[in-house]
Amino acid sequence: MLDIILRFMEILIAGIFSGFIGSLTGLGGGTVLTPLLTLFLGVPIYYATGASLISTIATSSGSASAYIKDKITNVRIGMGLEVATSGGAIVGSLSAAWVYSHGLAWVIYVTFGIVLLTSIIPTVQRGKYEIPKPRQPDWSTKLFKLHGEYYDAALGQEIRYWGVRWWLGEFIMFFAGVISGLLGIGSGALKVLGLDWAMNLPMKVSTTTSNFMIGVTAATGSSIYWYFGYIQPFIAAATAIGVLIGAFAGTKVLIKLTNRFIRWIFIAILNFLGVEMVLRGLSIARIIVLPLVYEYSASTALSIVLIAALLAKYGRRR
Amino acid sequence: MSMDMDSVIGMTLRIGVIISIVLISAGVAIMLARGEGLGYPINEISSMRSPINSSVIPVLGAVGHVASLDGLSLIVLGLVVLIATPVLRVLLGIASFMMEKDWLYAVITIIVFIDLMIAIFIIPALLK
Repeated sequence: MLDIILRFMEILIAGIFSGFIGSLTGLGGGTVLTPLLTLFLGVPIYYATGASLISTIATSSGSASAYIKDKITNVRIGMGLEVATSGGAIVGSLSAAWVYSHGLAWVIYVTFGIVLLTSIIPTVQRGKYEIPKPRQPDWSTKLFKLHGEYYDAALGQEIRYWGVRWWLGEFIMFFAGVISGLLGIGSGALKVLGLDWAMNLPMKVSTTTSNFMIGVTAATGSSIYWYFGYIQPFIAAATAIGVLIGAFAGTKVLIKLTNRFIRWIFIAILNFLGVEMVLRGLSIARIIVLPLVYEYSASTALSIVLIAALLAKYGRRR
Repeated sequence: MSMDMDSVIGMTLRIGVIISIVLISAGVAIMLARGEGLGYPINEISSMRSPINSSVIPVLGAVGHVASLDGLSLIVLGLVVLIATPVLRVLLGIASFMMEKDWLYAVITIIVFIDLMIAIFIIPALLK
């Protein structure tokens, strides 16, 4: 009996850790959870992604209730883009089912690693600018009512803004949905890219609106995961509770945490997990098979190189 | 969006998550105490590669056992509540846009709702 309680605690702690790092880096809990479960706890990747998708709903709904109160989330923009995202989530989760049923799980590992590594870049760049340079409103601004305003407590003023290029946002959001369904993550990084870069929205509006959307996207994906049996109740129960606790603790600490050093440690962890997922995938596919010790050493070495490159490029600016 | 509707939506999300986490936690505690859930031994349920997953547990069947305080069925119900929370949120969104007479966004939100229904009911029915 004790071993079962310990196993539950193990998954719970992995969840807390993921929720914590996920909320501090803005990537969401699932991005860290799936690597931890598959690489270190021996959970099959389909159960890990299923548990991760479930946990994503918990954190999205939990924090969205707080953001709605602040009125920063733009519900119109979020709902409009959700048309593309939930459609993408259906395509993505059906693709995942196809990949698993053809014994190609390694593809998910490798894709996961690459997505994780690329989503580190916007995380590092974050905070460079808060309010984007205004762009000329286009036809979609008026038709889809993409204006809004919110009170920015840090800047101490009302911010009025408007979105542009709705079609480009929809296009990127469809892919965000596909990635979410395929890998069982919220794919918040891609969503922020669509809102922030394509539609030219302020950072705060992008992040809260993306967070609101993640819950609906993950609910779409996890319904299909449910049918295919990728949701294992014991694992999903532990991670849902764990990630929620971790994310809650993360938001409490976030206000106080200004230490750059700690931030870079988290980025280093993400880097390691990303490289490790790629290597593990290649080893499952028998493309590069390394003994575990060498695999970890190679991941560590590659992460150090990547971190050095990121530090050289972005570290000095802040 | 009206002030009241926003707080209703915020409350719905929060209550949904709380109910779900309470159900899941209670389910885990009961399952560990009894050493079984829905007739499966705990060793089998808790294994990392356990064959007991969402495709072998019928949702309606599991929910029927909630009254007898079966641990596994409480967990399943908790997970269903969690997935249903954003669905309910979308439904409230439709109501709220209709109240504002914003027909374009009412239709957009209905399309999102249809996407959800396709994922929850239509695709499983088609694949069966």
